[in-house]
Parts: sequence; C-alpha cells; structure tokens
Amino acid sequence: MGKMKGAQIVGQVTARKDGVAKVTGQLPYASDINIPGMMYGVVLRSPYAHAEIVSIDTSEAEAMGAVCLTYEDINPILYNERSVSVPDATFRDRTVLPKKARHFGEPIAAVAAETEEEAYKAMKALKVEYKVLPAVFTAEEAMKPGAPQLYDKVYLGDKEVKIENNVAVIRNIEEGDVEEGFRQADLIVEETYKTQRTYHSQLETKGAVCKPEPDGGITIWATAQSIHANRQLIAQIYNIPLSKVNVKRTAIGGGFGGSIQVNTVTPICAGLALKARRPVKLISAREEDFYSHAKYPNIFHVKLGVTKDGIITAAHVKALVEIGAHHIQALAYLGCVSGWFASLYKYQSNIKFEGKAVYTNKVPACALQGYGNPDVNFAIESTIDIIAEKLNMDPIELRLKNYRGTGDEFWGQGPTIRSIIKSCGVEESLVKGRELFNWKERTKPSEKTGHIRRGIGVARGFHTSGTGGPKEGEVIDYSSDYIKINEDGSVDVVCPVVDHGGGTWDAITKIVADVLQVPLDMVEISPSDTRTTGYDVCTHATRGVFCGGGAAYFVAHKVKERLLEFAARIMLENPIDLDVMRDDELGQGVVYVKNFPEKRITIGKVAKTAQINSWGTIAYADSYRQKNCPPCFVAHFVEVEVNTKTGEISFPKVLIYGDCGTPVNPDLVEGQLIGAFNRGMGFAIYEDTLYEENEIGNLKCHGYMVDYKTPTSYEMPLAENIIVRLADTYEPTGPFGAKGMGEAAFSSVAAAISNAIYNAIGIRFTELPLTPEKVLKAIKEKGI
Amino acid sequence: MSEINITVTVNGTKINANVKPEMNLLKFLRSQGFYDVKCGCEMGDCGTCTVIFNGSSVKSCITLAAQADGGTVWTNKGLGEVDELTQKLQKAFVEHGSIQCGFCTPGMIIAGKAYIEKGGKPDRNEIKKAISGNLCRCTGYKKIVDAIYDVAEQMSK
Repeated sequence: MGKMKGAQIVGQVTARKDGVAKVTGQLPYASDINIPGMMYGVVLRSPYAHAEIVSIDTSEAEAMGAVCLTYEDINPILYNERSVSVPDATFRDRTVLPKKARHFGEPIAAVAAETEEEAYKAMKALKVEYKVLPAVFTAEEAMKPGAPQLYDKVYLGDKEVKIENNVAVIRNIEEGDVEEGFRQADLIVEETYKTQRTYHSQLETKGAVCKPEPDGGITIWATAQSIHANRQLIAQIYNIPLSKVNVKRTAIGGGFGGSIQVNTVTPICAGLALKARRPVKLISAREEDFYSHAKYPNIFHVKLGVTKDGIITAAHVKALVEIGAHHIQALAYLGCVSGWFASLYKYQSNIKFEGKAVYTNKVPACALQGYGNPDVNFAIESTIDIIAEKLNMDPIELRLKNYRGTGDEFWGQGPTIRSIIKSCGVEESLVKGRELFNWKERTKPSEKTGHIRRGIGVARGFHTSGTGGPKEGEVIDYSSDYIKINEDGSVDVVCPVVDHGGGTWDAITKIVADVLQVPLDMVEISPSDTRTTGYDVCTHATRGVFCGGGAAYFVAHKVKERLLEFAARIMLENPIDLDVMRDDELGQGVVYVKNFPEKRITIGKVAKTAQINSWGTIAYADSYRQKNCPPCFVAHFVEVEVNTKTGEISFPKVLIYGDCGTPVNPDLVEGQLIGAFNRGMGFAIYEDTLYEENEIGNLKCHGYMVDYKTPTSYEMPLAENIIVRLADTYEPTGPFGAKGMGEAAFSSVAAAISNAIYNAIGIRFTELPLTPEKVLKAIKEKGI
Repeated sequence: MSEINITVTVNGTKINANVKPEMNLLKFLRSQGFYDVKCGCEMGDCGTCTVIFNGSSVKSCITLAAQADGGTVWTNKGLGEVDELTQKLQKAFVEHGSIQCGFCTPGMIIAGKAYIEKGGKPDRNEIKKAISGNLCRCTGYKKIVDAIYDVAEQMSK
C-alpha cells in the first residue's frame, strides 16, 4: 500500500499536534466536561462477592432530592460490553444493573444529586437487602461439583447457552498431526505456567458525562476506545434511534485495553441522565475503577516436542482462564491466545490448543495490552529457553530455526483471521540485537558468584496490526474518514479513531499530508463524534496506524483524484498528466504537470477556484477495510540484577528491538516500546490484584495505587541504558509501509525478564509476578 | 459542619469562596475551572494533581482547600503563562516526545519544575528519584527524564 516516493513527512520526528494542549492541561478528558445544570452521579457497589438482591429501598435517598436508578428502571436487555466480535460470536450475560451481585464492587444502584457530596450521602441512604451466597475465586474451584454457580444460562448471539460448573466457554483448535509431531521429537518438554490478574492502572479513571437532548436523544462524553461502540450499546439499551445518540470523542487518559468494551459506568450514567432529564457526570473514584475491569489471568500447560537439531515438531497448549463475573468475550480471547501461541513458531504446523474459560466472583476480566499475548508468550518463550538448555543450544539459534517469518501464516485474531507474513524483522532484531547486547559474553548461571547476580535474557514476541484478514472473520474491522481540502489548501480529516496517546492522530495527519503533499501544519484532525463520522470498530488490536491510517490513506487518494480533476479543468490538462508535490517555500501543496513541472497551481488555488465557480468542495468520505493483519515484531534483551539476600530484582540495561515497518512517528514508536517495557516490568515482578477470598471478596489493595505496585521512574533502567532499535522493514500492505507496534511492545518483556533471572540465579520461575518474597523463597530453597 | 470562607490566589487571581472543611484543594481548584489539575486517585498516590502551593509542590488532593486560605497556588497552565522555567519544561516535553495520553503531564511538569528550582542538576539518576512520586502509565518515564534533564542543563548554563 503506497510507495515511499514523496513520503517526506511519514518517518520524520515531528512535535505531536496535541502536544501544547496536553502540556498545558487544556485538552479535555471526559471528566473535564461540564454542562450547565449538571448533576453528579454516584454508584452503590456490592459489599459482597456473591449475593441475591432481595430489595432496594430508594425512598430515603429520593426524599433527599436524589434521582435513583435501580434494576427496575432499565430495560433488562442482556448484552456484552464488548462489541468488536460479530453478534453470533458474542456472549451476552449482563444488564446495566443486576438482580444478583456477582463480584465485590459490582454496581447495584446509582443516584444523581446536585453535588458530589449530596449524591454520596444519598447513595449511603439506599437500603439494599442482600441474600449472601457462597462465592468462588479460582477457576479450579469454580469447576468443582457443588461449587457456587454464577449463572444458569447466558446467550451466544440469539442462542441460549446453559452454564455448567461455571464454564463460560470452551474453545479447542487442532491443526496438522500433533501425535505424529510428538513421535518425531527427540525431546518433549512440558511445563505449567501461571499469569496473574493485573489491573490497567490507567491514570484517568473511567467516567462519563451524559446530556439528555430535547428530541429524546442523548449526548455522551465518555472514557472510550471506541465512540461507535458506546453509541450502539446506549441506543440499544435505551431504545433510542442511533441518529439521536451522539458520542463525542474526547482525549482518553490511558487505554491499555480497559475501555475497548463500553465501560460499566457509561450506561449507568446515561440511565441517570435520562431519568433525571438533566445532564449527569459520573466519574469513578480510583477504588471503583479497580472494581471495573482487570486482565485475564491464565494457567497454561505447555508441551513442546523438538528434534535434537532444534526443530520444534509439535506443540500442545492447554489454557485455563479465569474470567471473573462477566463474559467480556472470552470466546474471542481464547481464539486470540491460540493464535498468539500458534504464530510464534512453526511447530511443523502440528498445533493443538485446548482453551477453557471459567466464571468466578471476581472483577470481570477483559483485554489488557496484548490480549493474552504477553501471558502465553511468557509460557512459550520460557519453554524455548528450557529446551535450548536441554539441547545445549544457544537460545537465539533455537528461535532463529523455528520462528514464523516472511511467507508463513499468521493468525491475527485467532483461527478465523489469518494472513501471510510479508514483512519481518525477526532475524535482524535477534542477530543485530545479540551483537549490540554482547550476547556472546553471557555466562552460565553456575559461573555467577556474590549476592548481586547479573543475568541476561532474551525473548521475542509480536502482535497483530489490526484484525483484518483476506477473508472476514469473527471480528469486525474497518474504519471511515471524511477528508476535505479547504479553500486555502489546508486539509480537514474527520475520523472516529480514538488516540490513546500513542500518536495515532499524528500518524493519520502525516499519512494524509504525504498523500496530498501538503505541509503537516496544513492538516488537522477535526473534533468528531458518532454523528459526523462513519464507523470505526475501536482503537484496539494495534490497529490505529495500520487500519485507521490505512483508511485515511485510501480516502486521501480519493480526494486527490477530485483535486486533480478540478486542477485539470483550470490548467486545461488531462488529470492523468498531473500530480501533487509539496512546496515548502510556498507552505502549500501544488498540482503540477508531470512532464512540465514549471506549470503548476497551488492546491489552495484549485480549491478556491472550485468554490467560486460552484464546482464543489474537494472532499471524499468512505470506509475502508484492511485485508491483512501483519505482525509487528519485537525482541527484548534484558539484563537483570538479582539480590540474593532480598530477592529484589533491578534492571541495569535493556535493548528493545522493534519492527513496525515504516515508523510513521519514530519518537512515538520509541515511546511505545519504552512505556511497554515499564508495564512489562510491572507484569513480570510487581503487579497482581489480590483478593480476600471470603464472602466479601474485596481487593486487598483497597483501591490504593501504592498498594497495587506499578513501576515508577525510580525502578526504570537509567535512561542511557534503555536502548531502542527499529528493524529496517517495509510492510507492503500498510500505509507507506507502516504496520503497528503498541501491543507487540509489551509481548515479550516478562519472558525476557524471567529468562534473564534464570541466567542470573539458575532458577526457572513459572508463576508471575516474581515478587521479592517469591524469589527469595526460591533462592533459599535452592541454597544460593 | 458549616462552610469556611477562604481566599486563595490562584494563578495570580484572588478567589474568594465558601468551602466545606473536608474539601480538598484539588476539588476546589477544579470547581473553580482549573481543569489542568487532573484527578488520578484522590489518595495522594499518583501525583497527577500536583500544584505549587506557597512555593512548594504539593499533591492538591491531600491538601485541604481550607489550608490554602490566604495562600498562593499556581497550576501548570497558569505557570506556563508567566514562568520561564515552566515554559521551557512544557516546550521540552513536546520536543522530547515525553507525552502520551497526557493525563499525568501537568503534574509531571510541576515535579520537574520543583526539582530544578531546588537546585536539581542535569543528572538522570537524580531526576528519576525526584519524579518517582508522580506516576505515568504510558511512557516508561525515559522521555520525561530526558526533557527535565534538557531543561536542567539549559538552566545550569
């Protein structure tokens, strides 16, 4: 898609367009929206992990002047907060407010009042009678006979599904001949790995502002990764025509997958506003946000067979996933996890995956950067190192022998969305990376001494860029744009794509600036909402640049066609003889005659002439679907120091090798890679949401961010020891050769850290996070 | 409890208001329209609400509005209009790509200002320590440290 010719801005470091607004704090997030006459909403949350709601008495709160919202007030439509999968592949198990609480902190009722304080007091005045039920907190316990049951039935599309033993969904996938593959193996390695329930810990808590409109509609500002997903769900629940539900795009204070689904509080806020017939603002407190969503925790059993020459002949992965109280698409999750596992190595195409997802009385689990990829990557990349040691082979050599690269099949979104890899930086990143990191000086664990032990480790990963395949699958993927050239040659881009901060909007403006050959400061992303834009599924799956940018690339070319038609009329030329080029001196794009470049006219002049002659505006609107989902690759080389007296781990040095095709915003790609390394450190050694496993079932951190430890600046390696390199690749199906990066950046951090720890102390850890207690215990057991 | 009348000079403008004794400075500032002061946790954990109060950087969520009576508060936006150091930091954050979602940015800039004003040197390790009370989930901090380092270096010349 596109040639590098003329791509002068894509690939350059430029100051981000929202930079000034962000550094001065002037960019509004949902919580910064204020409407005259606005009320404040507060949610009453369940004090039990599992309880029937017998009755809710709102009379006292109403006597205080509050507007109250309970189950009774809302159309009991069953839905799934996540709508990126096609309806037939989407489980539905929840309503806006429940009849039964299924986790501590689940919203039970809500109130709106004139001030936050009054709303809080009114919430305290709600009287709820609960019948407390026994609760269950682990997948293993939940599947046992006689375990407390969260659901009798749910729906898959329109089909009723009976729930037994809390099993939400099973997904098994088998390809090739796994048994034969294992027969060909000289060595079979099996290991079980566990990854934990982390919390997104995005700095902006989830919230919404909803304003009922005189025509019966509603306007919404919400923490969202997709404005159209919010619009469609609110319209469905409250039975309002889509044309009257307008969701405004705002800045979002961190996504990380936590707002792919419509946040639980948004339909509640809408319900309050519609009932009160007044605008309502509802912003989660930090503790409430902890009870909104978390990452899926997993137990993986991995079995790999390998020949003595290091060719992996078969792979079998069993996944047991604990999904919490609601199904935010574990079907899609299991499919994706099978794909992340299947696409990492060739396994001679002998692959078996058995996935099971189980309900428990915990916070609903959802995507968190990578959608299970960092989890299964930890399992596979740890196993690869185990195999390398057993074969006495260099772990990098083993990876180079087996990775899926150019020409191989890649599962971008589980088994139904596949594509062929066309660009691949794996070899470059491993081969050049090992030179840069002095890999050959790596010593064995047995050669280390002293109480501070250094080790280096490697792991490689990837993520998809978007969810489009040559054939449509079970995940929806397309984007839309309206692009117009103004009468001074500047360009407006109206698009629904949300930018979490990764630089998606900058990428889109750069792509449009290069297609139309106008200076970057002549292209702006317009404020937008669901009324003024076509559909975009969501900024998820690392699809912002590849799919959002891909659609902008397509529509900008259509605009260019119109531009050349109008220019040809003015210049008395044939449009096919014309092209555009950027004229930096004029600060404009110009249309010129290809064989006679001195004959030219500015784009602004063309647009102005078209306007005063009443030919029309040079504009185009369309949707576009990427028919490919190229993997963006990454390799992490990590040096750790393990303090054998305390079990603490520090990070003297890291090399991150990324492959995003053409880096549209090179500095922001670097920022993605470093930011994901920081979160990967948290995933590897710090973070977990621990529960009191009793009938209350609350979080032990009580909503304190300091008690949910994330890595701060202090724990990061010194800035000069964070080395980032980008592979020199070009993705032919991406806009100007670009593919994604965001989630790939996170995929192999934990595995690389764990492999480095093994290299330091000779202990293989299989359960994250590797907290000092856990590390110290293992060190003592080993007698180091 | 009855309300307390306070007068606070925010970004150079005197504001008189009645506040509840338990109201924190963060809520007060936002109620007065200073939306560049962000609320990340309201528990003193994250630092997004950092402002300059009577010359020192404080987390406004764990400072009572009533404590600010008779005092002076500067927010990042207000400082950006008058204070050269803040302007340099704001510019450096844009140039170094130190921003992603932007939610921590106003507080982080104040943390950088406080470090440099206390005589902080262009020393990346010291900067790392100085800003460790301000959380950022997006960037991994490196580019934030780079921006503060750059300005600390400019100021030390």
